[in-house]
Amino acid sequence: MSTIAQAGRKATDPLRPEPATVVEVIPETPNIKTLRVAFDDPAVTEAFRFLPGQIGQLSVPGAGESTFAISSAPSRTGVFEFSVVDAGALTSAIHELADGDPVAVRAPLGCAFPTDEWKGRNVVLVAGGIGMAPLRSLLFHLLDNRADYGTLTLIYGARTPDDLCFESDRADWRHRTDLDFTATIDMACSIWDGCVGLVPTVLEERAPSPENSIAVTCGPPIMIRYALESLAKLGFREEQVYTTLERRMKCGIGLCGRCNLGPKYVCTDGPVFSLAELNGLPDEM
Amino acid sequence: MRFIAREKTQELLESLSAEAQVWAPRELNGSGGTVMFERWSPGDPIAFEGFSTLSAKDMVLPRTEKLFGFRYTAGTGNMLAEALEQGAGLPAQGKNEHLDIESPGPAEKKVLFGARACDAKALDVLDSLFNRDDGSAYEDPGYRARRAGLTVITLACTSCDDACFCSSFENGAAEKAGSDLIFYPVETGFLVEAVTARGEQILSGGEGTVATERLFEESGLQPPALAETARVEGIAELESLLPAIFADLEFWERSTAQCISCGFCTYSCPTCHCFNIHDEMRGDREGERLRSWDACMFHIYTQEASGHNPRPTAAHRYRNRINHKFSYFPENQGQILCTGCGRCIRGCPAGLDIREVMAAALARARERGSGEGLAGEAPGAGSA
Amino acid sequence: MSDLVSRIKEALDQMDLVLGWTASGAGGVGAPARFYERADAEQAVFDSTCVHNLAVHLPRLKERRVAIVAKPCDERAVNQLIVEREIDPERIRVIGVECPSMLDVKSIWRCFGYGARIEDDGERLLVNGAEVERARFTQQKCSGCPDHDAAVTGDRMELRERFKAMNPAERREFWREQYSRCIRCYACREACPMCYCRDVCIIQADGSRWAGGGVSAHDAEMMQLIRVNHLAGRCTECGECERACPAGIPLILLMEEQNLAVEELFGHRAGEDREAKPPLLTFNINGDGWEQR
Repeated sequence: MSTIAQAGRKATDPLRPEPATVVEVIPETPNIKTLRVAFDDPAVTEAFRFLPGQIGQLSVPGAGESTFAISSAPSRTGVFEFSVVDAGALTSAIHELADGDPVAVRAPLGCAFPTDEWKGRNVVLVAGGIGMAPLRSLLFHLLDNRADYGTLTLIYGARTPDDLCFESDRADWRHRTDLDFTATIDMACSIWDGCVGLVPTVLEERAPSPENSIAVTCGPPIMIRYALESLAKLGFREEQVYTTLERRMKCGIGLCGRCNLGPKYVCTDGPVFSLAELNGLPDEM
Repeated sequence: MRFIAREKTQELLESLSAEAQVWAPRELNGSGGTVMFERWSPGDPIAFEGFSTLSAKDMVLPRTEKLFGFRYTAGTGNMLAEALEQGAGLPAQGKNEHLDIESPGPAEKKVLFGARACDAKALDVLDSLFNRDDGSAYEDPGYRARRAGLTVITLACTSCDDACFCSSFENGAAEKAGSDLIFYPVETGFLVEAVTARGEQILSGGEGTVATERLFEESGLQPPALAETARVEGIAELESLLPAIFADLEFWERSTAQCISCGFCTYSCPTCHCFNIHDEMRGDREGERLRSWDACMFHIYTQEASGHNPRPTAAHRYRNRINHKFSYFPENQGQILCTGCGRCIRGCPAGLDIREVMAAALARARERGSGEGLAGEAPGAGSA
Repeated sequence: MSDLVSRIKEALDQMDLVLGWTASGAGGVGAPARFYERADAEQAVFDSTCVHNLAVHLPRLKERRVAIVAKPCDERAVNQLIVEREIDPERIRVIGVECPSMLDVKSIWRCFGYGARIEDDGERLLVNGAEVERARFTQQKCSGCPDHDAAVTGDRMELRERFKAMNPAERREFWREQYSRCIRCYACREACPMCYCRDVCIIQADGSRWAGGGVSAHDAEMMQLIRVNHLAGRCTECGECERACPAGIPLILLMEEQNLAVEELFGHRAGEDREAKPPLLTFNINGDGWEQR
């Protein structure tokens, strides 16, 4: 039985999505856009709640349906956001959406970050590329409840400055004194005078203390691997480290058999897993 | 027990077909003896002695199922789009279309005649995933409706072939779970046993049912001896032993080398249930979201958009198949995801026998000692 | 058999593995196997139950050097894969074997029970100790094969004769009935050595709009027609598609017709020549009538 908090409603027909509308499209990088979405039915909007780390199935009926982390603040009502990489047929269709276009959504799905268990502790967020999307939701939650947590650290890296998302949020985060934020890019370039280095390298340089701390990492699989190694080197134990996994998903409700890691399903037992849990599962990354 | 004469089964099915679609095994024309479950109409032959190449899971998990229809209509029938246009200060670009989602119709009632114990038990196994009533999981209303509307009349097996291995499981050929009514073949017909209230209804009649009780008579005959099949010893131990050899990819490669990832095993299996969801347009404005059978044996089953595939070879996929059936599903649902019907063995074009793989896995796992921990490397340790 | 064993051992000196058969199928029939070490080769067999076309594995083993025990029809598949540059002839070795014609093992098991004991010394065919008529249980694809003189009778052969005599309207009805049984499992495609697109096939790819994915005779027909067209002049008629089909659809009938058409139009048959230029895959970029656009 997972120790990670479950927060989700069990719909009567969980394979049937709710009609929704694109309220705004925010270009983030050359191949990432954030879609701000609202349900059409006010009753659904009223009842909709999610916790950071949960996912949704966003579809453009006719093009298909796919899984995305909900990247907006849980405390924000009325609208919620998905940040989408343009990678295939469906995401191309999503990237062609404009304000007012209809979509359909099944959300929230999956397990959230167990933020209640983390109260009183320091939290270190380590994100690469689109991995920042679920961690953004988490960060908003932590900032909204700032007094409940110790120090907050964010290391967020991408290949180039153009590949960093959430520009206006980053401006905010830079100016906060209650958040230690480092943005980094892989290789030096003329328009960037900030930190340079791969995310795991920067993490080791910053060397956050594992004492009374939780670390959360998300990014491309190769980055996660190295980040987990770095965290281990820094002394973080496997119960202190969390990640959120991506797999090809279809039903999102633990029935279609596709997204399993051993006996666990990334869509219902995850996508949030502690490293301790992952180490007990077969290695099928 | 009650008895029904063999020639009266046609009448029974005809009566039942007044209220439900009837499906029964039939030999296909010009197919060299292939038997399948086909829609039965009065007068159609029934292959009483045959064993269908494909299972009966189509009754509850159709090969392709329409989840819902959708339609785009132009104009601003969409309240939110209207609001946007009117004054939210955002430009109303885009198609401003309205999306309607329409539910499919109700499930048809069906009668499955001529299932075998392995087919009926498989329904019980699928129920443990798709038909849970305890609020622990998401509901599958399509499955539930079809399962509730399905009557299963099982033909008990008095013989078997070398590919059958249902005796590896608790009740073997005498398994009753999943059946409403069981027909035991005797010389001129069948002895009949009701397993559920629905089965009892067919035998004894009752309010609102089609009058079938007149077709049955009391009999003092003894039910026949049922088939004893080959057994896989230790099948239940796989649940705890398989983790010990998970990382032994060389073992999996060697024991499954001939697999061509064709998916026959998955499609013919009564318990395999993995599915895909995809949209199909019917013209420019209307379409359907469909659920279809899928197979973890297929190469793109876990292919991610980035190009990465956690199960790139047949060995990886077959390993997952065995683990899902004999370790993960038992751990999660308390049932083994197999009923020993042998279809995968008879049908595999490459001659793979799942029993041999299971036996080899058991032997290998026992060699390595208890399944303490995972023989795999931790994700953070940089192994491939 | 000792000759085969020594040839496999010799191949293992230079190759990473050898694809062949052992007598490990039910009732002792041939089952595909891989030989990695000389000791493994002792188990190698080749007989009339070794029906599988092992060339299907070659595109999936590109990173290794592979030798393959091959009947003449299998070798044609290997040749075609080389012609299409799907496999590297420098990394492949063919261990050719003479073929006595292949038995339809599934058909034997349907008549005599799964795992019935099959003994074939080339003269007499015995099933569970009793002699049976070989022609009745020979694979239909073996009739007309230039490499041996196999007589084939039985239901499947009769079906072929009936089919050849049908007019277009009758064929239309025939295929409509056959396709109504197709469950879109794609075993035909996975079993085919030439369908190395696997499941990025145009029919199955997400976003494909050429044929619906559901169960319908119409969509199944579309799928098979796409397959047949893509295989025209490439199919070596190994028959694995039909052997893999759970619904018993006689797919070779389609392939035969298509290949005959290519032979009549272009004088070409797949797999006969490693140097061949396949007519439907080759074009002259600087030839007459070719305009740059």
